[in-house]
Formats: sequence, C-alpha cells, structure tokens
Amino acid sequence: MNPTQPVMLRSYARRVTEDQVLRTKGLVKKFGSITAVDGLDLEVRRGEVVGLLGPNGAGKSTTIGMVLGLISPTGGTAEVLGRDVRVRREDALAGVGAMLEVTSFYPYLSGRDNLAAVALLRGGGALARVDPLLARLGLAQRGGSKFRTYSLGMRQRLGIASTLLADPALVILDEPANGLDPAGQREIRELIRELAGENRGVLLASHLLYEVEHVCDRVLVIKKGKLIASGTIAEVTRGGGNYFEIVIDDKRRAAEVLRGLGIKEIREMPTGLDVVADPTHGAEINRALASAGLYASAIVPRASSLEDVFMELTEPEAPSAPPAS
Amino acid sequence: MLRLLRSELYRLVRRWMPWIMLGLIVVTAFVFYFLIWASITAQLQAVKNGTIPAPPEGTAQLTETLRQIAPNRVAQFGVGIVAGLGSVMLIVFAASHVGTEFGWGTFRTLLAHGASRSGFLVAKTVSLVLYALVFIVVGTLAAIGASYAVSAVAGISFGTGVDLAEVARVAAKSGYTFLPYMALALAIAVWSKSAGAGIAAGLVVYFAEGLVATILVSLNKDYAQIVNWGLSRNASALTRTVSGQAGPTSQDPTASTLPDPTRAAIVLGVYCVIFIVLAYWRLRSRDVTVGG
Repeated sequence: MNPTQPVMLRSYARRVTEDQVLRTKGLVKKFGSITAVDGLDLEVRRGEVVGLLGPNGAGKSTTIGMVLGLISPTGGTAEVLGRDVRVRREDALAGVGAMLEVTSFYPYLSGRDNLAAVALLRGGGALARVDPLLARLGLAQRGGSKFRTYSLGMRQRLGIASTLLADPALVILDEPANGLDPAGQREIRELIRELAGENRGVLLASHLLYEVEHVCDRVLVIKKGKLIASGTIAEVTRGGGNYFEIVIDDKRRAAEVLRGLGIKEIREMPTGLDVVADPTHGAEINRALASAGLYASAIVPRASSLEDVFMELTEPEAPSAPPAS
Repeated sequence: MLRLLRSELYRLVRRWMPWIMLGLIVVTAFVFYFLIWASITAQLQAVKNGTIPAPPEGTAQLTETLRQIAPNRVAQFGVGIVAGLGSVMLIVFAASHVGTEFGWGTFRTLLAHGASRSGFLVAKTVSLVLYALVFIVVGTLAAIGASYAVSAVAGISFGTGVDLAEVARVAAKSGYTFLPYMALALAIAVWSKSAGAGIAAGLVVYFAEGLVATILVSLNKDYAQIVNWGLSRNASALTRTVSGQAGPTSQDPTASTLPDPTRAAIVLGVYCVIFIVLAYWRLRSRDVTVGG
C-alpha cells in the first residue's frame, strides 16, 4: 500500500451545494522546513459527522487551527459556510462552534459565567442558551462552581457546551472525549449524533477509534499532513473488511499458492499471513494449501476494524531494505 | 467589536484583582494621610517635650508638611499619592489583564469563538483605559475623603476646601501619564505571551528610565535633548505643570530642562500609539497554537 496515495475511492458524491458547511482546498501549512499539512482537501456537510484521524503530529489540530483562522495557511483555502476564512473570518465563524484540544476557560469564573462571557461575545440569543446547555451537558448542578475546580471531564463538557452557544451550522470537536469516563464518552457519542440529527455538520478529531467508528459517517485519515484515506467507515474498512488470518510456518510458499488462487492482497504477519478474500473462500484456501503439502494451524475469518486499518495506514514506514534474493 | 468589549467588561468586573487594587488604593490613601499626620505630630510633640532637638530652621517646615493634609492641598498631595502608587499598580494590572489570556489559553478560546485579533486588542485597550479612569477617580475620592477625615481628627483647618476642578485637572493629567506605561506593559505581554514579562518590563522602564535620564541630565544638560524623547521626562513635564513648583518633581534639579508640556502630551500619546500598533502587529502575524 502506498501511503502517499488515498487508498479508497470516494463513493461520496462531490456535489457542491448549500449543504456544504466546510470545504478546504489544497490546504498547506509549513512551519519552517516542516510541512505540517500538505494539500489537504476536506469537506463537511450538514447532517453528517466527519472523523479526522491521524497519529500524533499528523496535522489534525493544525488543520482545525487553519479552519478557525488561528493559524495562517501557507497555501490553499478554507471555506466555512461558503466564506473564505482568511477574507471573512468573523462572518464565517459566526456559524461555527469549536472546541479545541485543550479546553481553556477563565479559572476565576464559574462554568455559567464562562459560558455567559462567550455568549456575550457571540451575541444573538446565545445568552439565553447558557442554562439549557449546562443542563444538556449535565453541568446544571455545578454551573455555579469556579472553572478551576472542574475535573477534566467537566471541562470537556463545558467546552462542548460552549460550541453550541451560537447555534452553529458546523461544530468542530477536537478530542471531545478526553478525560471522560466510559459513560461520559457514550453520552458524548450520543450528543454528536444528535447534533448531526439537528442538521449540523460535525468535524470530529479523535484518537478514540471506537468513538469514530460508531459516530462518524465518513472518516479522513491523514498522516504527515497528507490525506491517505477517506470515505465511509465501510469503505475505509474495505466494505466490512473481510480477510483471513492464516497461521502457517512456510509463509513464502503459502503466499505463492494463494497468489495462484488469484488472491492479490497478502500481508506477511509474525505468525503467518493475512489474506484479503471473500469469506466464502475459506475452504478453497484450505484445500489449495493442503494440496501443496502446507498445513495451516488455523485459518480464521476476520473483519477489519477501523483500528486495524488505521494502524495499517499510519504505521511508521520501515527503512528501505534491499530486495530479498 | 462591541460584543467583545461587553464580554471583556463582564469578565473584568468578576475578577478579584481589579477590586483588590481599588481597595488597596483607598486604604493606602487613608493610611498615608494618617501616617503623615501621626509622624509629624509625634515629631512636633517630641520637639516640644525636648525629647529630640528642634531642627535648626525651627518647626515651620514640619508644620508646613502637616498643612499638606488639608483638603485645599489634595490636588498636589493627595493626587500625588494616587499617582505614585497608582502608576505601579496600573502597570501590573495592564500586563496581567493581557498576559493572563495567553497563560490561561483563553486568547485561543476567544479567537475560536469568532473574536478578531484587532477586536481583542481594542477591547483590552478600552477596558484598561476605563479601569484606569475608575482607578484614578476612586483613588482621588479616597484622597479627598482621607484629607477631610484626618484634617478633622488633627484639627487642621479645611481652608477653602477641595478645589474639585483643580483636583480633576491634576488627576486627569497624572492619569494620562500612566497610559504609555500601561501600553508598554500590554505590548510586552503580547509579544512575550507573559504577564510577568509585561510587568517586569513596565516597571523597569518606569523606574530605571527616569533614574538614568535624571543622572544624565545632571551630568550634562545637553543630554536633555536626547532623554526628553523618553517616557519619564515627558511624564514629569506634565505632572510638574499640574502641581506647579510644589509638585512631586519640585525636588528635581533638572526640572528646568523638562520638555514643554504640550509637546510632552503629544510625545506620550505617540508612545501609546506605537506600543499598541506593535502589539497589534505581533498579534496579527502570530499563529495561535496551544496557549496562544
């Protein structure tokens, strides 16, 4: 697999309609000689949750920073609700609620006062949304407590509440489940789906692949600032992601036999081979190996999870070695 | 812009620091007046009792100092106290008001919620000027109150009472001289993303520049041509004119070389603009990552 090329075809229709709440085109950010984001194209539509995945340092937060006008792009454009963030930043961000990776509020203010301070900045009916949002995020009882007394989970909830003050068309959440217990994580997943159900677009950057797998309609995987895969969860996990894990000693000969069956995707693993094939072909594989005098200890049908694909796509590149003779 | 200013003021009035500083200037005014009265009275009593020898020039100077407490001297004495302590406190406040936004990471939060960088700076500057105004008014009123209270206790004649117009004029000019130092502290806080650096730079310039300027002019009056473009000499020129020869700089042997007050006001205004523009230039060109 070539990590420099997007591996999945986008079945997602590329219509440019008013439903589009975020679009970046050729977004580039260089910090000196380091290219943090390299020609990134992404889009988010109303009513969908798009996951932004990538290992640490992949450029997720930098991308979000550029979308929010916190970081100036070296090249490319970011449009929110059809407005270029560089040209009409304030207009563009009027329809965006964003929670950054590190949730920062005024430590001397209560949770309620912090939301009120943001609401005053937002204007409109934002002030009236403060108490309902505290209740929605389960902070009604602690709304009067100082922010500095909040646990990490409460801070995250307050951060999420702040994103909804402006009744945004686009919600950007950077690691929203950080510090939340499993029940809290589940609540946030449900909330994210609710947001999409309210016809908002959601861009979710997360390390929690389970969260992404269960919440997102589409995912974008970036590595070293480049888009390396995108599509629906099913597409990225290879339509359900069927493969066989074959435990066998003579991996080289087994691979030759399987290639003879027309199987193209074969990966060498420590205990044998992983082979992408239709789940109904298990018996055929077993028969072919046995006919060649190769006896597998196990042939186990598996389904790729997003985590498998993520690990596969983002694993560090091995240093190039001379071809085996 | 107005929304950001409203948010700024909402946060400002809920912070302890500005209230503590206001309380401090009120308490300081009363304590200062009381201490002056108590120490002069004690000295006069000691001279009278023969506990200490009388000064060669007699007790006239002590009596004159005691008269500074009277309400009709508030414009010189009371406002001087507020200006002396207030300038330091407002430098600290200005740096803290801006620098903590970077330390807490809230600058980034504000921007993420749609605030503009220019709006942030304007809101900070306007709120600082408003706070300085409130600070001067409260401090001056405290000085007036302390003057009447201590004069009543000491049995000092109120004389013609407080000349409110004169006090307001003196306080306004003194307050004006704080602004470039506050702007400097703000600019350094923005550049360094640190309240501490803003405080340190503001205070160092406030104290050291004046000292260096005075030394240089004492050595050679021609140096006034150079140091009169600095902050301290122009601030001194304004405060000297507000309080006349009896003002805080009356002891300054280099006073005759101070710049013209009008020019001083313009120079201080230009410094304010320069510091704010530098802060804005840095703010708009900076990528805001974690913290700010």
